[in-house]
Amino acid sequence: MTTEEYDTEMDYSDSDCGDPGYEDYYNVHPWDGEGDNDIDNDQSRRDPEYAVYDCLRIEEVERLLNEDVESLSNSLHITPSLAKVLLHAHNWALQDIIAKYRTNASSLLINSKIKPLPPLDSLSGLKSQRNGLCSVCVAIQSAEKFSTLTCGHSFCKDCWCMHFEVQISQGISTGISCMAQDCNVLAPEDFVLSLLTKPNMRERYQQFAFCDYVKSHPQLRFCPGPNCQMIMRSKEQRAKRVMCSSCKTVFCFRCGIDYHAPTDCNTMKKWLTKCADDSETANYISAHTKDCPKCHICIEKNGGCNHMQCYNCKYDFCWMCLGDWKAHGSEYYVCSRYKENPNIAHESVLAQAREALKKYLHYYERWENHSKSLKLEEQTLEAIKMQINKKVMNYSGTWIDWQHLFAAASLLTRCRYTLQYTYPYAYYMEPGPRKELFEYQQAQLEAEIEDLSWKIEHAETTNRGDLENQMDIAEKRRVTLLKDFLEKNSRRKEEGRGERERENISEK
Amino acid sequence: MANIAALRIQREFKEVIRSEEVAKCAIKVELVNDSFTELKGEIAGPPDTPYEGGNFVLEIKVPETYPFNPPKVRFITKIWHPNISSVTGAICLDILKDQWAAAMTLRTVLLSLQALLSAAEPDDPQDAVVARQYKEHPEMFRQTAKHWTYVYAGGPAKMPDLDDKIRRLTDMGIEEHNARVALSSYNWDLERATEQLFS
Repeated sequence: MTTEEYDTEMDYSDSDCGDPGYEDYYNVHPWDGEGDNDIDNDQSRRDPEYAVYDCLRIEEVERLLNEDVESLSNSLHITPSLAKVLLHAHNWALQDIIAKYRTNASSLLINSKIKPLPPLDSLSGLKSQRNGLCSVCVAIQSAEKFSTLTCGHSFCKDCWCMHFEVQISQGISTGISCMAQDCNVLAPEDFVLSLLTKPNMRERYQQFAFCDYVKSHPQLRFCPGPNCQMIMRSKEQRAKRVMCSSCKTVFCFRCGIDYHAPTDCNTMKKWLTKCADDSETANYISAHTKDCPKCHICIEKNGGCNHMQCYNCKYDFCWMCLGDWKAHGSEYYVCSRYKENPNIAHESVLAQAREALKKYLHYYERWENHSKSLKLEEQTLEAIKMQINKKVMNYSGTWIDWQHLFAAASLLTRCRYTLQYTYPYAYYMEPGPRKELFEYQQAQLEAEIEDLSWKIEHAETTNRGDLENQMDIAEKRRVTLLKDFLEKNSRRKEEGRGERERENISEK
Repeated sequence: MANIAALRIQREFKEVIRSEEVAKCAIKVELVNDSFTELKGEIAGPPDTPYEGGNFVLEIKVPETYPFNPPKVRFITKIWHPNISSVTGAICLDILKDQWAAAMTLRTVLLSLQALLSAAEPDDPQDAVVARQYKEHPEMFRQTAKHWTYVYAGGPAKMPDLDDKIRRLTDMGIEEHNARVALSSYNWDLERATEQLFS
C-alpha cells in the first residue's frame, strides 16, 4: 500500500467523522426527492454501488450475439459458423479478431483451432477414404458418404453423427473436435448441424453452444437464481451489485456469487472455500490436541488439570511441556523451562495452529452472526408492518406518514449486509495501521447499526428527524467501509484494459 | 452402436496380433468373452526402466459407445508407478480420458501405456505416495519399482535386503503384501512402517 492511498482514506474518514462539509451537504441527499432525476451520474453519486446493467431474455441475447457474428463474418468474408468459433475462442473481442486477422490470418485460424497445425500429419484419414474404408467404423463406404474438416481427416457421415451425439450427451458442444488422433481442429456449428439428424440432439447442441457463448462473453452473465433464464449484460466487468429483474436474485456481476463488497471476488472465493473446507477440522485437532509423548496416540484435553494420563499407555505427563509428570513433583511452574528444549519447534507449530484457529473463529463467528441477523430482518419488517397497521387503526397518522420506517428497515438490511462482508476482508488483511483503521470503521458502523436498530424498534418514542439523522450517519459509515473496494474496482478496470493492450502487442 | 464396437474390436484384435510389436513380444491381447466387451491386455516392461523384464496384465473393458468413448483400462498386475494406483491399478492417462480420439485403437492404447512406464508424469499423479517418492527419493523409487516388478510381474531383479525387511514384518504376523506396501510407502524405513502398521 502506498502512503498516498492511506492519506486519502484518512482524509475521508476525518471529514466523515466530523463536519460533513458543504459539498456533501448540498449534493448528497439520499433520502429525499428520489426518482425525480434519472441521470446515471446523479444516481451513482446518490448510491456509490449503483451499476449500469441490463437484464436480458435469451432471445435478446441471441440477437445481440448474432449482430457480432454477422459483423465479423461480413468484415472477414467468412461463414457465420466460423465467425462463431473465432468469437468464442477470443471472448467476443470483435475488433481484436479483425486486427489479428489482418496481421496474420493463418496463425489466428490455427490458434482458434479452425485450421490444423502445419504440417498436415500422415493423412491417415485421407488414405482410408481412398480405400473407401472409414477408420472409425471399419466399414467400406462410397466416397459421397464421407465428410472432412479443414484438417483433411475423413470419416463417414454416420460416424461423425455418432461422435457428435456422444459428445453432446456429455455436455460438450463448442469443444467438439476431429476424431483423428492428435488432431485438435474444432467442428464448427454448420458442420455439426449438417450431420446431426435427431431433432432433440440438434436442439441440445444449440442450447449448450449458447451457454458456452454466454460464458465466454465478458459482458454477459447468467443469473444464478434457481431455474432463472435471464442474462445480465454490463459493459464493465466489475464486481458490482446487480439484481435480476425476473427472480430478484442479487449477485456480483463479476463472479456470480452473492454480492460481497467490500471484499473482492478472489478473497471471497478463498473465504467461502475456507469455511466449507474441513481443513478447519484439522486445524481444530492440532489446536486442541497433542500426541502422547510415549505412544503418540492423539489426546484431546477437555478441561482442567495439566497432569495428564494417557488413556492408552497410562503414561503420566505434563500437558504444558509434554515432559514426564514425575519430574514435576509439587513444583508445577518449573515446566516453563521446557520452553527452551528441542521440542520448541514442535510446540510453536501447535501454538501457531491454535492462534490461527482463534483468529479464524473470531471472524467466522461474526460473519455467521450477521448472516443470521439478516435472515431475522424479514421478521423485523413484518413487525414494522404490524406496528404501522396498529398506528393507522388508532388514527395516529396515515400509512404514508410511517413509510420512513420501511426506508429505515431497508437501510438497516443494507448496512448489516455490508457489515457481514467486511469480515472476510478483514480476515485476509495484513496486520498494520490500514487494518486497524478498517476495523475501527467497522466497529463504528456496527455501533451505528445497533443504534439504528434500537430506534426502529422504538419508533413511537423516537422522532422522525432523529431516525432519519441516524439513517444518514449509518449510510455514511457504510460507504466509508466500501470506499476502498469501489476505488480498487474502478482502478482494476483501467489495469484490465492496460493488460489487454499489452497482450495484443505481445501476440503480434 | 454396439455393432460398431464389436466390429472395431474384432478388427483391432487382428491388427494387434499381426503387428510387429507382438512379434517382438512387447504387447499382447486376448479375448475374455465372445462378445468383445472385455479383453485382457499384456505389455512388457520397457527396457532401461525398473519395469524391464516384467509382464504387466491389463483389464480392458470396451464400452457400448466405443470407439466414440475410450476403453476402460486398469492394471491387474500390481505396479509401483506415479500415474498408476498401487491399490486399484487405475491409470491416469490423458488419452484414456478427454484426449481420446475415435480413430485411436487398442494398439495405440497399449503402446501409450508402455510409453507411460518409460516416462512417468509425477506432476499429474494417480498415486500421491508413489509420486512423492519419485520426486524426492528417485533412487528409492527405482529400487521399489524394481522390487514390485520382480514380485508381481516376474521381473529379474531379486533384492535380498528388501525381502529381509519384509520378512521382519511377516514374522510379526503382518500379511506379506501389506508389509510391502507399508515399507514402500515409508522409503523402506522399518521402524516407521511398523509404527504405521500397528497404530
